Amino acid sequence: MASVERDQIRIRLAGKGGQGIMLGGAILAEAAMLDGLRVAETQEYGPEARLGATKADLIISNRQIAFPEVHKADFLLCLSRPAYLRYAKTVAEDGLMIAEKILREEMGDSPNVVYLPLRASALSLGNELYTNIIGLAALAAFSGAVTKESLENSVRSRVKAETVLANFAALDLGYKLAEEADSSRLVSAAASKLSR
Amino acid sequence: MSPTPGANKQRLVMGNEAVALGAIAGGCDFFAGYPITPATEILEEMGKMLPARGGVFLQMEDELSAIAAVIGAAWGGAVAMTATSGPGFSLMQENLGYASITQTPCVIVDAQRGGPSTGLPTLASQGDVMQARFGSHGDRPTLVITASSVNDCYESTALAFRMARKHRLPVVLLIDAVVAHMREPVELPPPPPPQKASYPKIEEDTPRFGDVPFVPFGHGPVTVVTGLSHQANGLAETQRGVHTEQMMRTTIQNILSDPEIRRSWVSAYQLDDAEIAIAAYGITARSAREAVDVLREDGIKAGLLDLKVLWPFPNQILRETADKVSMIVVPELNLGQIVLPLKAAVEGRAEVHSLNLADGTLLTPEDIAEFSAKQRKSTKEAANA
Amino acid sequence: MPRLGLDVDQYLRTQVLPTVWCPGCGNGNTVEGLATAFARMDVDPTQVVVVGGIGCSGRTPFYVKTNAMHTTHGRALAYATGLKMAQPKLTVVVTMGDGDALAIGGNHFIHAARRNIDLTVILYNNGIYGMTGGQEAPTTPLGSRTTTSLTGSIERTFDTVEIALAAGATYVARTTTFDMQEIPLRIEEAITHPGFAVVEVLSQCPTYYGRLNQIGDTTDMLVWERDRTEGLPVKMANRQELLGELKTGVFRNEKSVEFTKAYSDLCARVGGSYGLS
Repeated sequence: MASVERDQIRIRLAGKGGQGIMLGGAILAEAAMLDGLRVAETQEYGPEARLGATKADLIISNRQIAFPEVHKADFLLCLSRPAYLRYAKTVAEDGLMIAEKILREEMGDSPNVVYLPLRASALSLGNELYTNIIGLAALAAFSGAVTKESLENSVRSRVKAETVLANFAALDLGYKLAEEADSSRLVSAAASKLSR
Repeated sequence: MSPTPGANKQRLVMGNEAVALGAIAGGCDFFAGYPITPATEILEEMGKMLPARGGVFLQMEDELSAIAAVIGAAWGGAVAMTATSGPGFSLMQENLGYASITQTPCVIVDAQRGGPSTGLPTLASQGDVMQARFGSHGDRPTLVITASSVNDCYESTALAFRMARKHRLPVVLLIDAVVAHMREPVELPPPPPPQKASYPKIEEDTPRFGDVPFVPFGHGPVTVVTGLSHQANGLAETQRGVHTEQMMRTTIQNILSDPEIRRSWVSAYQLDDAEIAIAAYGITARSAREAVDVLREDGIKAGLLDLKVLWPFPNQILRETADKVSMIVVPELNLGQIVLPLKAAVEGRAEVHSLNLADGTLLTPEDIAEFSAKQRKSTKEAANA
Repeated sequence: MPRLGLDVDQYLRTQVLPTVWCPGCGNGNTVEGLATAFARMDVDPTQVVVVGGIGCSGRTPFYVKTNAMHTTHGRALAYATGLKMAQPKLTVVVTMGDGDALAIGGNHFIHAARRNIDLTVILYNNGIYGMTGGQEAPTTPLGSRTTTSLTGSIERTFDTVEIALAAGATYVARTTTFDMQEIPLRIEEAITHPGFAVVEVLSQCPTYYGRLNQIGDTTDMLVWERDRTEGLPVKMANRQELLGELKTGVFRNEKSVEFTKAYSDLCARVGGSYGLS
């Protein structure tokens, strides 16, 4: 069966309820929209408001998006162990998983996984709740799916006014972590697979 | 990077939110509902918007009372809707029949989830297609509209209101868990200012039922409304339901000949030279559209017939399509529902193959493309043998 | 007599008479009471909606010459809630039977009472399902015979007044079809009351309840009704154990925040003007 060149980036965010996966999906989708791209974001969650497995799928493209779910992810942000076990296999052959560093000990290294100390970095900013934003920034840095400017504008429109600056700091931290970890793999937005 | 022109007017909107905005655009000023996944955001959005517009938002004690309040409100002069999912839609069936026999304009949104029973509350399904048509006892006119994108959710809801008010019947919008919770950028007009619905003046002897305009209580002489078979004046007619039967036939004809329905019935993609037509609706139409591209890459001429209005079923369009193609593939997230009227409409003019999945996951473009290619191959082999 | 000097018939849809009710049924007394209350209040029939459910009592809207809505079994109060909210100026009276209001529609009864929405419920309680032929109701007195409790009911009996009070109704009264002159007075009080008002009318079903329990004809049943509500000795010795003493009168009549008013205030808080729709 042929595979159609879809001219799109397929992103999956996965974690557990309460880790901000749903919010992360909305922020990234809005950033793509602000960049003038097409985007479809879908979600899957369990009955639990907290701790259940959750995922958000995003297709970002400059063409019409038909099927909205991610079959093979170009980029997977993985924040929890169950998400790792469930979704590691959905990363495309040339895709990249950005995973919480705590998972490294159990899961071990593999060529398309980059472990980043997302949670520890969030704690360094004073709150574990920034983990998702740091992860999003790292994903944006590696994928070039959205520009930093749009990501900031999107964050500003979706978080409480009094936390905007702290969230911006989290974004900076995420970009920095990605750069320090493996700068050779960073893709600038301009060089991403989306022609703009 | 050069942003698309006009991109700044776009908003990232969730399917359920677009339903609520489409309702407001359609003149909705009354919502009654009960929380249920995956339709709850419609309830919440209406709860945010309606009080500020002077409209009514009611969270009722269950879905039985939600639809009942909606019908009562319509007779109070409101433009009313409710939204639910499978379990709630089941509970609403009896009163949906009441809305039908009393020719009450209203809109019911069913964001389908996996069933039966509590089933798969957060996962998608298209299992309520037949229930939307035949769920309430007895025969009745039905109009069931689908949506496969966030923009569709807005447009289809507004269309549902226009049709409900024009033809005096409950109109169902069938979406599913994925479309309900999907976010896409859309550019929507600002909501219209709040406006009271207006109704024609009637006299004592003006017929209230049949092919006549809807006039609620308090807008003229007294009116009798009953779920019993009734005459044009509303009074019960239980020896022989002549008038009620006539009313149903007329409404069905009016819907079938409505130019807007005829225009919206289907949307075609790459169908002109197709040998295989994929007939799909809702979220599955999106997979099917991509499947068409995949098949064409492989040199198989496929096309999509996106069914935007499921009921009344577009029999004539399917017959015409069947005359042009050799095969129709019908992917659905159920065990085979819309394929039944489709087969009846096609009457053997083309092969019909049903592709079904009811485990809460979506049929992917690859699933549909592979299935279509396989069916085509086995037909060719059979022809050569 | 309350009817004296009043044109009660203007509120009766005489063209559809006679009613579907059996000779001797108490429902006619209640309908007469409702029409009399309307006459006493001189209501504009185009601004009144009588909403009924299903069952014998549910037919009331056909016989009262106001707007009429004959709905589905048990759901009359839910329909009425939507209607009242959509057009709060309308006077909405809901007529329901005991099975309609307290069995299939029990949930709507308690929630409408909880909201204290300005509706008037007239609950016809004959202790049995009449239209379907005499089956046991949640109000059937313990030990009574019905077609589904031929050896005597073993189910405990609902007390409408207690339920209405507990659920938050702000006007609660009970009367009987024996007390014909009292019915319109209670209904008028209930309609005038700004909040959820319940008038239970104990009523006779000679065809089923009377016959199955050998109470006698309509007159005997009215006397029985009087006796069970006044605590007087009942006529039939063997009835003593199955008839609890039921008090009549007004059990609550107090003002509290009414729902359409509360909703109007809510709209005003967020910049909306309720009543626009």
